[in-house]
Amino acid sequence: MKRFLPIFLFTLLLFYSFTLAHAQEFDFNRAYDDYIYTYSQYRVAHSEYVSAKQAYLNYKTLTSKTEAQNKTLKMLEWRDEVIKTYLTALRLKLAETTGISNYEQNVLYLKLDSEVSWYIKHHDALSSAGSLEDLVDSAGEAQSKYQETEVLIYQALETILSGKETALRQHLNQQMESLKNKIAEIREKGDKKTTVAERWLLEAENRLTRSQEKQSAAQQILTKIKPYDSNKNQSYNQAQFALEESHQYLKEANLNLRELIREVKSAN
Amino acid sequence: MPTEKIADQTFEEIPVAEEPVEEKYFTFGKFKINFAPLVCCSAIKQKIVWSVGGGLAGLLIVLLILASLLKKPSVSPKQAQPATPTPTPFEEEITSPSIYATDSAILKIEADLKTIDQDLQSTDLKEVGLNPPVLDMEVKFEEE
Repeated sequence: MKRFLPIFLFTLLLFYSFTLAHAQEFDFNRAYDDYIYTYSQYRVAHSEYVSAKQAYLNYKTLTSKTEAQNKTLKMLEWRDEVIKTYLTALRLKLAETTGISNYEQNVLYLKLDSEVSWYIKHHDALSSAGSLEDLVDSAGEAQSKYQETEVLIYQALETILSGKETALRQHLNQQMESLKNKIAEIREKGDKKTTVAERWLLEAENRLTRSQEKQSAAQQILTKIKPYDSNKNQSYNQAQFALEESHQYLKEANLNLRELIREVKSAN
Repeated sequence: MPTEKIADQTFEEIPVAEEPVEEKYFTFGKFKINFAPLVCCSAIKQKIVWSVGGGLAGLLIVLLILASLLKKPSVSPKQAQPATPTPTPFEEEITSPSIYATDSAILKIEADLKTIDQDLQSTDLKEVGLNPPVLDMEVKFEEE
């Protein structure tokens, strides 16, 4: 029995290390859950901050000021944490999305990482604020920084959506190339007319081109956003709409190709 | 030609013979109620019909008002909407197939296009969950 004990312990250790490694796997879903949890904590801290602020403005006592300072500190810490977890979730979403070029992905990773480290530093510096006025100044710094962060957020979101579109278009292009070769083969054999099929092919090609144009238009909208713009959200909505139009063209291209298949499968 | 002489008579003065009142009793234990006057007299009959009819009509109106007052609030237009129909792709059967109807390359491309179609339908181009968080960025301690 004693002989088997080390083997048993070794197996147990192996199993434990495996489960631990599996549990530590940090993917988008995990990061997103973290973000949601942090956001809920921020909302609680924010409502407490609002109450403390109101009490201080009403009574102007030293106690109410101290309380307001504590609540503001807590709220600002959670706010930094929310931005940090949100950017991390966005980074992991970028990593999981296919259709984004490596170059584009790496540029965004660098920018996101730089933003995250700024908020980490800011979070750490908050606790060293000696007074309520210091905290207000520190909050102001984050406010101006967040304007830049927002631009990056919208660009990253657009990249994610564009990546999905690119991946779908690539798949359709592959099928179109295969069909082109097949039609050329049929034409050479001469056992079936290919005029109608070629027309469907041309239609599908046109739709794919239009889809690409709409996607480029969406990217153009977002490259024009500036940190001081107050309507960044509006620009993002416009870009999203252009991407939806691009998606519609992809659907039509797919339909055209399916019609082509039908034509090839039917006798003249 | 002999003519029959009709005696002059004023109809107002003709005595009206009283209708024989038929006695109709309803016995309930010790009590005995005579319904004969009610049944026989046409004026009273009419009155009864009118009062019963009026009463019923009144009751109906009251019930209708109550029903309209106690009626459940109508469901919102959103709830009333029927479930979104899911279109079934219509695929017309090929009646006269070509020699390429069973071509493996064509069948593979067809299957791939169906998969792409499913992907196109299921792609989420909004990603609402990833919208930036709503944060209170303005921290100030001044009276507004």
